[in-house]
Amino acid sequence: MHQVVTVKAEKVPAGERLRRCKQEAEKQQKVEEVAEKLEECQEDLIEFHKSYHELFQFFCNNTTIHGAIRLVCSKRNKMKTAFWSVLFFLTFGLMYWQFGILYRQYFSFPVNLNLNLSSDRLTFPAVTLCTLNPYRYSAVQKELDELDRITHQTLMDLYNYNMSLVQSNWGAQSSRKRSPRSLSHHVQRHPLRRHKRDEPASLKGNSPPVDKNDWKIGFILCNETNEDCFHQTYSSGVDAVREWYSFHYINILARMPNTKALDESNFENFIYACRFNEVTCDKANYTHFHHPIYGNCYTFNDGNSSLWTSSLPGINNGLSLLVRTEQNDYIPLLSTVTGARVMVHEQNEPAFMDDGGFNVRPGMETSISMRKETTMRLGGSYSDCTEDGSDVPVQNLYPSRYTEQACIRSCFQISMVERCGCAYYFYPLPSGAEYCDYTKHIAWGHCYYKLQVEFKSNVLGCFSKCRKPCEVTEYQLSAGHSHWLSTVSEDWVSHMLSRQNKYNITSKRNGVAKVNIFFEEWKYKTNGESPAFTVVTLLSQLGNQWSLWFGSSVLSVVELAELILDFIAITFILSFRWLRSRQLPASAVPPQGAHDNTAFQPESSGPSAPPHSTVKAVVTTLPSYNSLELCGRDRDAKIGLE
Amino acid sequence: MAPGKTIKAKIKKTLPVTGPQAPTVSELMHWYCMNTNTHGCRRIVVSRGRLRRFIWILLTLSAVGLILWQCAELIMSYYTASVSVTVQFQRLPFPAVTICNINPYKYSAMKEHLSELDKETKNALETLYGFSEGKSKVRRDADDWNATESKFLERIPLLKFEDLSKKTVTEIPSGNKRKIETSVFHQGSSMVNTGDPQDVVGFQLCDPNNSSDCAVYTFSSGVNAIQEWYKLHYMNIMAQIPLETKVNMGYSAEDLLLTCFFDGISCDTRNFTPFHHPLFGNCYTFNSGENGKVLTTSTGGSEYGLQVVLYIEEADYNPFLVTSTGAKIIVHDQHEYPFIEDIGTEIETATATSIGMHFTQSHKLSKPYSDCTETGTDIPVANLYNKSYSLQICLHSCFQRAMVDTCGCAQYAQPLPPGAEYCNYKKYPNWMYCYYKLHEKFVKEQLGCQQICKEACSFKEWTLTTSLAQWPSSVSEDWMLRILSWDKGQKINKMLNKTDLANLVVFYKDLNERFISENPANNIVILLSNFGGQLGLWMSCSVVCVIEIIEVFFIDSFFIIMRRYCQKAKKWWNDRKAAPPQVNAPAKEGHDNPVCIDEDLPTFNTALRLPLPQENHRPRTPPPNYSTLQLDAAFTDPLPDTLEGRSH
Repeated sequence: MHQVVTVKAEKVPAGERLRRCKQEAEKQQKVEEVAEKLEECQEDLIEFHKSYHELFQFFCNNTTIHGAIRLVCSKRNKMKTAFWSVLFFLTFGLMYWQFGILYRQYFSFPVNLNLNLSSDRLTFPAVTLCTLNPYRYSAVQKELDELDRITHQTLMDLYNYNMSLVQSNWGAQSSRKRSPRSLSHHVQRHPLRRHKRDEPASLKGNSPPVDKNDWKIGFILCNETNEDCFHQTYSSGVDAVREWYSFHYINILARMPNTKALDESNFENFIYACRFNEVTCDKANYTHFHHPIYGNCYTFNDGNSSLWTSSLPGINNGLSLLVRTEQNDYIPLLSTVTGARVMVHEQNEPAFMDDGGFNVRPGMETSISMRKETTMRLGGSYSDCTEDGSDVPVQNLYPSRYTEQACIRSCFQISMVERCGCAYYFYPLPSGAEYCDYTKHIAWGHCYYKLQVEFKSNVLGCFSKCRKPCEVTEYQLSAGHSHWLSTVSEDWVSHMLSRQNKYNITSKRNGVAKVNIFFEEWKYKTNGESPAFTVVTLLSQLGNQWSLWFGSSVLSVVELAELILDFIAITFILSFRWLRSRQLPASAVPPQGAHDNTAFQPESSGPSAPPHSTVKAVVTTLPSYNSLELCGRDRDAKIGLE
Repeated sequence: MAPGKTIKAKIKKTLPVTGPQAPTVSELMHWYCMNTNTHGCRRIVVSRGRLRRFIWILLTLSAVGLILWQCAELIMSYYTASVSVTVQFQRLPFPAVTICNINPYKYSAMKEHLSELDKETKNALETLYGFSEGKSKVRRDADDWNATESKFLERIPLLKFEDLSKKTVTEIPSGNKRKIETSVFHQGSSMVNTGDPQDVVGFQLCDPNNSSDCAVYTFSSGVNAIQEWYKLHYMNIMAQIPLETKVNMGYSAEDLLLTCFFDGISCDTRNFTPFHHPLFGNCYTFNSGENGKVLTTSTGGSEYGLQVVLYIEEADYNPFLVTSTGAKIIVHDQHEYPFIEDIGTEIETATATSIGMHFTQSHKLSKPYSDCTETGTDIPVANLYNKSYSLQICLHSCFQRAMVDTCGCAQYAQPLPPGAEYCNYKKYPNWMYCYYKLHEKFVKEQLGCQQICKEACSFKEWTLTTSLAQWPSSVSEDWMLRILSWDKGQKINKMLNKTDLANLVVFYKDLNERFISENPANNIVILLSNFGGQLGLWMSCSVVCVIEIIEVFFIDSFFIIMRRYCQKAKKWWNDRKAAPPQVNAPAKEGHDNPVCIDEDLPTFNTALRLPLPQENHRPRTPPPNYSTLQLDAAFTDPLPDTLEGRSH
């Protein structure tokens, strides 16, 4: 039953015309002309095929998919169909194998490494310089007095060393008791002790025994109820005393309400001369902060004012500082190093002096040459890095930009507050917390050292939580040293320094140091990453495979989709019609206007069938070009014939 | 017939040039869509329903758009390079090592040239800071100073700023108080903050032609002020001294080098090539490769590197020019110029300095991948150093050229361009002002040097790791100094001091050479393959179908439109020529116009429909008088060509 059905039932004549055209076309077996004729005929917004067979016929005639279509469209020849189905599945399999390889390659997110050498004006990094001594000993002596006395006593007991450090008037001071809960009470909780190594360990050592002699030294840390205790032991007495001292020092600092009053940050007393790029720099170029261990720190070029840029590499175009390194008023048990500490870091990055700094020797000119190297990783799925730290589940306690170190420290501090109820003094204070102090938090030391072990073995998960920033700038430093103040120039320079800065340098050569920080090269390296396999290349590769094996394209797929949609639509129409035809006999009303009018069909096929044969007869005699005429006229002619 | 015409006719017959065989553009499109291999297009024609057809047009166009977009992306990412890092273990050539004493010339030899300047400097120190080396000495100096004319201080006096807001200054030697009218062009940003005002010292440089145009340089630290001021005059004096005298005043190789060991074998001063540096005097390059031989090390480690003991005569140092003691070394390639003043590493006295090296070689791709230069020949700056190109050389050469152009003389620290001479204020009294102005311009990138100069594409670098140790140890000090003193020979009577010696070891940490090179990530094969992929993916198109599209959409369409115009023009011409008699002229319009047909061979329509009407000039056998042909109503109107063809 060859019939074209229009959606709208009223347009029966159009459908009939189309059918006639099609018949004509089929007779001539010329597909081109079918289309030509069809175009001539009036068409609807959307038309559907009458039957499945017709649909497939149309599809087979007009599809552009190679090969695979033979499978469906050559069904008359079973042998061919079998052959083509084998071919089809073979190519299909090959194609999907290749697709799999391509997808695996894409989803491994490979990257290309790019090496870029830029030579713009180099922005000078921030340089932080610290005095290596937290407070002048004379200023904090009052606070540390009691601790010093106990230390003195301990050293006397343990090592039989009489530490005659200061011309102290302990006797006078100790007479006036400050408070009933004096410091000594707390210090006694954590006494520095020496004990035999091979003694049956009732208390397990916290650190691995690396000592060679029989004695280990350490101090005991207990929780509130004194049930859980352990020894924090050290193989070297020096380490033990320093650690023990600084543990108590932290407590004292945490108790002091106004540490600000103690630190007298005097720029002129620390930095005697400062030059950048042959230009004098001054107070406007630095900011000051205080570090509890490294003392007064001055950060040059931290980005508050206009940034310094180096126009040329070389020692004359860098930062040159004269630093005082006098050690008279260092805290004896805390600051064992003399000199100054220098660190080079990016602007807006916190200066972690214990991470990246290095010390400047007194009496030396230290020339530090820098090479800048920037590494930029691709974020997202390419690597596990973070753009600005906003997606890291750790609150950044530092007021600066996200860095991995800042994150790790913040992470530790937050865990510390959670676990021990107070904050570690060296790290910034989270909101609502207070610094640890054993007058308030008796067992924080125990808690802290326990936590420290967990932190280092990554039980806290800080190292996995904190991800690397995607863009990291590194400064590779290498230093050269020369004696500063040669014997011949020593006189006049030290004279001028003492005269100008009104500070009497006692030891001419060791009281001062010179630091030069400069760029070694004008160029800086940028290690970048770029995706090696982008969506564009993936699509290209897929297209390559597709074309190679199937010779089809996205549009062929749409063709297939259209076929399926048509199939569904026809199924729907046919079932709908079938339902109607089931209902109609029951009502027994002569159907009107419906396209599936049964009365209509014989009528429509009636006139067409008889001329069919007659036309055939005429065509044989006619010149062939007649049949090429447009269908409308042809039909007219046929009608005329009749 | 003329022979030319015959050939023309023959060609026309055998190689017929036909236009597109479709009368109109729409028919051409139709024909194309039915026959092309490109997907999508056929569906536009075949589909039933206007909506369906519209969707197919949309799909096809979007596929074309996608292809164009993706191909554009491919082209744009064509010039990307990927980096490969190779680490290979091999016998490495030892780099050149240049060693200089920080003090350029022996102070004792320089005395006669610098005596006046030193006197004035000491005087200034005394006036400013009350510093005196010793009573008697100062008095003598002061007497001398009275005798000689103080030409340096007179020319560029040191100024002491009493009050910055009032701009009153004191000239140092004369003690004259005066006011500066000019704006204080100081080098600091905010002067007010800098310490105590009486400490501010500086000097003034003026344009001699226009005395109001002055620049005042101030320093917060007196040490810096004195040193800068001293250096300025020192350079003037040195510029007047011929090179040979300067070489003689500097340290000889025998002076500097006490012992030398390389790769476990003893070496001596013959292995060092002298080289005169304007600021550091005589420097010596080990393994400079000047005789074409470059030494290699067979093994890494400090034993197989270069070991030298340097003699640094601290007592013979210039007290004002240099304030530190030691030597400077630089590790560089044999073809590179050693920029000691910029990137040298200091060596400390009484210390053993071990410098471990790690070698990295990099190569970048030049244009169009990046903006670098292979040899430097494409840079419009003449290389003043006779060493291979580097960015640093280019910048210095560029500045020196600008200096010669602007100030008329060359700056002392850089090599002389041909035909120029070094600046000194005997001949060029205003050069210093000119230099400072120019340098400031250079720093602010107004000279254009930074724009002209490009970096070199390939470069070698040695990453250095320095470690220090006390040397000689207190127990070995005694015998070692004695033997070294004996080695030194001629000064046997003078015992060496350990602060005059420096031990230096330069060695390869390992013999791994890291080679970083860029390779093009794409090549033309990959690009074409990707193009093919895109074309195939969206439309199953190929190069042939692209050609097809060009043929149909551009050439054929153009022909059809041209033909249309040609016919119109002809018709118009004919109408004008014979307007009244030609009644049946309108019948000749269209593709079957005999005039046009002569030129174009049969079109698509005529070829199909008409069995060559114009070749049959003889009257054809009349068609059978079938009844079908009598349907004039159906035929006459749309088929005028058939009738006309017959009438011919």
